[in-house]
Amino acid sequence: MTDQPLFKKAFPVKGDFASAGEASVKVKNILKDIGYDSGVIRRVAVATYEAEMNVVMYGGGGEIVMAVNADHVNIIIVDQGPGIPDIKQALVEGYSTATEEMREMGFGAGMGLPNIRKNSNEFTIDSEMGKGTRLDLVFRCGG
Amino acid sequence: MTPETKLHSIQIDNEKCIGCVLCMRACPMKAIRIRNDKAVIDPLRCVDCGECYRVCPHDAVIPETTSFSYLKKFKYTVALPSPVLYMQFGWEVMPNQVLQGLKRFGFDYVYDVAWMCENVTAAYEVYMQLHPTLKPKISTVCPAVVRLITHLYPDLLNHFIPIESPRELAAKRLRFKLAIERNLKPEEIGIIHITSCAAKMVSVNHPVGLAKSHLDGVVSIKDIYGDLLDLIEDVEEDVILQKSSGVGLGWAQSGGEIRGMNLENALAVSGVSDVIRILDDAEAGRLRNIDYLELLICPDGCIGGPMVVQNRHIAKQRCETLVKMFGEKSRVSRKMIRRLFNEGFYKMEEGIEQTPLPPLDPDPIKAIQKSQKIEELLSQLCGKECGACGSPDCRTLARDIVVGEARLTDCVFIEEEKDNP
Repeated sequence: MTDQPLFKKAFPVKGDFASAGEASVKVKNILKDIGYDSGVIRRVAVATYEAEMNVVMYGGGGEIVMAVNADHVNIIIVDQGPGIPDIKQALVEGYSTATEEMREMGFGAGMGLPNIRKNSNEFTIDSEMGKGTRLDLVFRCGG
Repeated sequence: MTPETKLHSIQIDNEKCIGCVLCMRACPMKAIRIRNDKAVIDPLRCVDCGECYRVCPHDAVIPETTSFSYLKKFKYTVALPSPVLYMQFGWEVMPNQVLQGLKRFGFDYVYDVAWMCENVTAAYEVYMQLHPTLKPKISTVCPAVVRLITHLYPDLLNHFIPIESPRELAAKRLRFKLAIERNLKPEEIGIIHITSCAAKMVSVNHPVGLAKSHLDGVVSIKDIYGDLLDLIEDVEEDVILQKSSGVGLGWAQSGGEIRGMNLENALAVSGVSDVIRILDDAEAGRLRNIDYLELLICPDGCIGGPMVVQNRHIAKQRCETLVKMFGEKSRVSRKMIRRLFNEGFYKMEEGIEQTPLPPLDPDPIKAIQKSQKIEELLSQLCGKECGACGSPDCRTLARDIVVGEARLTDCVFIEEEKDNP
């Protein structure tokens, strides 16, 4: 993010299933209150939720940072998890490393990252083994 | 009253309101503020869920209903009792007895709405078979849920099943049928819904998906209960007014709509906070494997409505007993349902439009800036969430300040001299 956004806020993501999804609802509600482009809200809602679940399931907690501008929204999702060994493979639809517990909760269809990519206009992923993963997403109005 | 306040059945009696915080804190839409020691409802946000009515200890929250004297203006009166009414009496009282009691009360005609519920279950099935995509389908039975979705979840509007509610369908059919059979003009017939619901009056005065309601009014179960109790003693064994099986009767509580449906993945959710949570899940795309989503704003469904008499847990037990007694096999002819479906009988007359809440500012850039300002103000507030300022919580106070409807000094923990927003 180079230019100064009109709105910026960080939302902590706890690493437990009980509160999973709360941060992405907060993100969505702020955009609704602004009266932001409804297409962007829908895509942000889906992508941020998926990303938050990844942070909960693999990252052991982290942070979502939202920056809102007139014509686009930036979402950065950071965790200090183990990192993704093979990003290319993780982006293949249907590929999943979900555990039994995650599958029991209805996850593990291997659609997480592909779905996030599909719903964002720009998608950048950086992952370092043992350090964590960072997603940079851009959602453009009318996109 | 402004045109907006008329949109609602819930009104505040200023004589009785003492300006405590209970209704404001209970409101899931954050639609209530305390101004000049009185509760004020924002008509644009209110969905008529009735949560404020439940908590008010001063009887100052009044859901509008139809007075019995209004019924006198009709030549012929029809009662359409919600199945919830059947669950308000003792163990020995059967639905047929309740319906007979309503006749003795003075209604010329009494119709078992549970039977239309049973028909609508079958019509839903037909609709779902014809429209298998775009899951989950969401029912439009609960008027408060419909408003909640048109206000806050516009992307879910096309998930609604465009089938009219049983109460409206029953009224539509009866007005037509009785006018012919009894040689009456349609307007001479007064059709009244008897309900546990605070939102039904709104759905009569300002229907969604319908140009004009087929109902003429709404009476609460609370209001009619005392009189009815005296009239249900005698049973006329040969007068059968009940047509429904357990499939229709079960509609009184959460899970009733899906009970009669042959679906693998159907979900019933009730209670306002759980409904909001599941809608957030639906919006995040989490429920695509769910075929049908039954949503009722009251806890445990209509049986937990604000205008009931019976403890809802006892009423639930009563409902289960009646469902077992009358069986879970639908008595509806599927062939007839298909015919009526194809004729368009069940179809909503109009589409459901979104009713988005006003944004923070009409200017999109200013709206984003105001959002930032809310966060800044929030960091100045102590977060005790007391409500003494007249806003339901600190975040909402910050929002009210930013849109010019409150001042930072309204916060009782902020000293006067520090502030000048």
